[in-house]
Amino acid sequence: MYALEHMILQLLQIFFAQDAINGFLGHPQTVAIMVGSLIALAGAIPGTFLLLRGMSLTTDAISHTVLLGIVVAFIVLAALSGTTPDLSSPLLILGAAAAGVATVILTEALYRSGLVRQDAALGLAFPLLFAISIILVSRYISNVHLDTDSVMIGEIGVAWTDTTSHCFANCEEITITEDDRRAVMMRECTNCVSENLYPRDDRATFEEMCSNCGTYTPGEAWSKGYSPQKPELIFFPRSLTVMGLLTVLTIVFVLLFYKELKLATFDSGLAASLGLRPGALHYALMTIVSLVAVGAFNAVGSVLVVAFFIIPAAGAYLLTDRLSRMLIIAPIFGVLGATTGYELSRGNVLGLFQMSDLLKSLDGLLKLNGYTDWNVSISASMVIMLLVLFIVAWVCSPRYGLITLATRRWQQSRQFADVLILGHIANHEGTPEAPDELNPDTLHEHFHWSRRTMQWALARLRAVRLVQVENDQVILTERGRAHLLDFRQEMGIR
Amino acid sequence: MPHHKTPLALEIHDLTVAYQSKPVVWDVDLAVPEGVLLAIVGPNGAGKSTLIKAALGLIPRASGDVEFFGTTYAKARDKVGYVPQRGSVDWDFPTDVLDVVMMGLYGQLGWFKRPGKKERDIAFHALEQVGMQDFAARQISQLSGGQQQRTFLARALVQNAQLYFMDEPFAAVDAVTERAIVTLLQELRAKGKTAIVVHHDLQTVPEYFDQVALLNLQLIASGPVETTFTAENLRQTYGGRVSFLKDGAQVVGMD
Amino acid sequence: MTPQIDRRPWIIISLLAVALLLCIPLSQIIFHINYNYTLTVVAVGGAALGILASVIGCFAVLRHESLLGDALSHAALPGVAIAFLIAGREIFPLLIGAAIASWLGTQFALAITRTTRIKQDTALGIVLTGWFAVGLALLSYIQSRPDASQAGLDKFIFGQAAAMVQRDVEVIAFAALISFVLLALFWKQLKLITFDREFAQANGVNVRGLDLLLSTLLVVTIVVGLQLAGVILMVGLLIAPAVAARQWVHKLGQMVFLSAVFGAFAGGSGAIISGLDVALPTGPLMIVMASIIVFLSLAFAPGRGLIWQKWQQWRTRSDIADNRAANLPRPQSES
Repeated sequence: MYALEHMILQLLQIFFAQDAINGFLGHPQTVAIMVGSLIALAGAIPGTFLLLRGMSLTTDAISHTVLLGIVVAFIVLAALSGTTPDLSSPLLILGAAAAGVATVILTEALYRSGLVRQDAALGLAFPLLFAISIILVSRYISNVHLDTDSVMIGEIGVAWTDTTSHCFANCEEITITEDDRRAVMMRECTNCVSENLYPRDDRATFEEMCSNCGTYTPGEAWSKGYSPQKPELIFFPRSLTVMGLLTVLTIVFVLLFYKELKLATFDSGLAASLGLRPGALHYALMTIVSLVAVGAFNAVGSVLVVAFFIIPAAGAYLLTDRLSRMLIIAPIFGVLGATTGYELSRGNVLGLFQMSDLLKSLDGLLKLNGYTDWNVSISASMVIMLLVLFIVAWVCSPRYGLITLATRRWQQSRQFADVLILGHIANHEGTPEAPDELNPDTLHEHFHWSRRTMQWALARLRAVRLVQVENDQVILTERGRAHLLDFRQEMGIR
Repeated sequence: MPHHKTPLALEIHDLTVAYQSKPVVWDVDLAVPEGVLLAIVGPNGAGKSTLIKAALGLIPRASGDVEFFGTTYAKARDKVGYVPQRGSVDWDFPTDVLDVVMMGLYGQLGWFKRPGKKERDIAFHALEQVGMQDFAARQISQLSGGQQQRTFLARALVQNAQLYFMDEPFAAVDAVTERAIVTLLQELRAKGKTAIVVHHDLQTVPEYFDQVALLNLQLIASGPVETTFTAENLRQTYGGRVSFLKDGAQVVGMD
Repeated sequence: MTPQIDRRPWIIISLLAVALLLCIPLSQIIFHINYNYTLTVVAVGGAALGILASVIGCFAVLRHESLLGDALSHAALPGVAIAFLIAGREIFPLLIGAAIASWLGTQFALAITRTTRIKQDTALGIVLTGWFAVGLALLSYIQSRPDASQAGLDKFIFGQAAAMVQRDVEVIAFAALISFVLLALFWKQLKLITFDREFAQANGVNVRGLDLLLSTLLVVTIVVGLQLAGVILMVGLLIAPAVAARQWVHKLGQMVFLSAVFGAFAGGSGAIISGLDVALPTGPLMIVMASIIVFLSLAFAPGRGLIWQKWQQWRTRSDIADNRAANLPRPQSES
């Protein structure tokens, strides 16, 4: 990974100055949005397939059990190597991914026994694995900074600080030994603490120790004044690399296996009979979900990463009918959420108003005591924006939105009412009961409608000249007859 | 609207049911007197189940009204029994056959009374009527399709209704069950009760039923089997996709 | 002859309950556990929570709504935060806030499934994450304020059973009592709508009202249990005892009682064992105990369990091999 970052930076330096790159990568907003967008991309694509299979909540389960994987891998590594493993070691990531897949395997096993439903199977598997991980954490890792709060929450806002430094010039590590002229020697009392002595005591013994010996990275050496020249450093946010790789992996996987995934999602029986191995595909997809969950939770926390799997895909599901389009709309949805989310966390709600103003107006009601600064978790704000965007899609979707549904229902009821009246007239015209059945004043009784509803309907029909009233009877006009005929033909009614 | 002197078991006027923008049942008029066995037939998706469910108020209707014994469903509820399709139930639910039948009595027990010995006896008697008395303590997950159907029938019987709606009771059942259901229907008729049955097997319509209603979005025809169950009406209902086997004027419908 | 009611399962369930209760004095003798006040409170509280959760959980599992508890647990967070803003760190307003937020979440999910083609699991996922995010945003706002009164709010969310006091146990017991009374009152109707919803509707049962009752009870259970067992672990307590009980018995009433016994055991023993060792957190231990019960049930339950299934297969094969056709199950035609 280090080599990859280094190569990318060397490439970028062809076009941009170092300071510009550092400024870009050091800008909290930029990094947060970039990481958020990568998570959105890496999440929305598998999330689409999972939604279509009815497995959305599996992502929730996996995001909780990856903790178990990290913990177990951590313990194993610590036991094997004897030292505290680095928290960003790739082995931990693999361990976490394995735990995610283990959750799926356990769930499937429970379901296949025939004794447990799918939803209950999931609800048995992941709490158990999560509970085990918490027990292990409390017993074995209480001294390391791995508390459950930060695992569950995470903060993308600090992603820009977690960096690897890359040096491009004046990159010497400085090692100071005792005979170096820069070494600072100090005398230290070796037995003052153990024997409770003052340094001036005769019995105190001293040793000369070097207070600044050791090896320093170029950056450290420069900041302490040990090296003559400033190293040229670029700081590359780690989460960018991790998420970048995962996003590329996800996209490549889906591009390679698009046809197979599509078929396996809709008809796994057919896929199996065609030799496409839907089972293997399924586990591959789940492995990617686990990897993305691990990669992302350092930035957004385990609960919020689930949002990136589910909500953009759901929004896309309301906007289109084609899988290929869903796979494009969902990531865009997610990226939009990430970018507007950052703004929200700074208090800027879609450019429409400021949260601090809102809070000021609510101060009295909510007893805010004047704390009206809104500067909150960026990852949470991103998810809130995803929710808002989903609601917008839910209401306004041209095909499936609430507005469309209501309009359609209203139109439909009017259309039916009209045609029912026309049909009623057609049925009874010229018959002996016609004066009774077709009298405009009593017509509503034949339909069990209120008088007013009928009058509105009749007024409407008369206005568009589909009926007219003659001799106390409602009769069809030529237009009315034609309209009725058209409707019947369209609906397949005689 | 002309009212008959003795109220009919069921009167449906101008019933229209729509799903999204398309009608599923359109402008249906149906009058069913007491003491008949009526089959509702038609192609798949023709609205047969929808018709029943709309009449019972289980799904909303776009227009029309329905009267049971001259009054609304809410007032006539204790006179109406409903046997839904088997597939609508989770057969893994923890309960036994007798218990399912007793559920039919819950309405009569009211809110807070517990079922007691009397209810168990009534339920058991209904099981005897359908030939399932040996299965009273059997777990419902262990029943075959025909046994499940007969359990449902027993549940409807304990409701002691005057009018029964049955949704595809003959679907995928064994011969024994089929005989049991037919016998039951005939006993109901003998007692002056009415049964309206969604039926899929055209072959057996003349044999099992007195009346038939042919439904394909609209009501094509309804009335006594002899006059209504004709080749012409069937052709109209099934859109010409009906073939006849010549011997014995047997009819096979394809949809 | 109408068959008699089979009382045997009830006898066995009662004996099991008594046997588990006897574990208390036994554990005092064998493991020298000292049931001091704190340990007793935690044990009773854990058992009560186990009972409450498992009883409601039976209905959730049978209605295929197992993960509703997961979603509602997460959805409670913004309610807690807003209640805190309004009323400070008072337990009752926090619980009410949690309940309102969870309830709004269920309605939102229901609205999505009723008006779109999105399925229930996705709708729950949207509510779970969206609501939780709102809660987290509010929490981070609260934590950015200089006043110290928000300390411990996150403990409320993540739960710590070890700090249970008598007051908490009283709250749980009260919630349990109300739940049981309501369930008993509407038992017949709840059974009917869970088994055959259409039939219930046709018979005039108020299906929507009862749905509301069940989701309200679920919300109350979760809210009461959240501060003690934490979000994830409530899910386990809701599901595991119910699934375990289903393997052993075949009637709804028996299932509910047996799962209460299992739940009490899981909650109580989890609390007691964690009380013995400071480094073992209570909530997770309850889940582990409940999971042990489930896996044992899935394996060993007569008539359903996996061991029994394997044994049946072996027996059938050996019968075929020995030409003992008389022992094989009959074809279904004569029924």
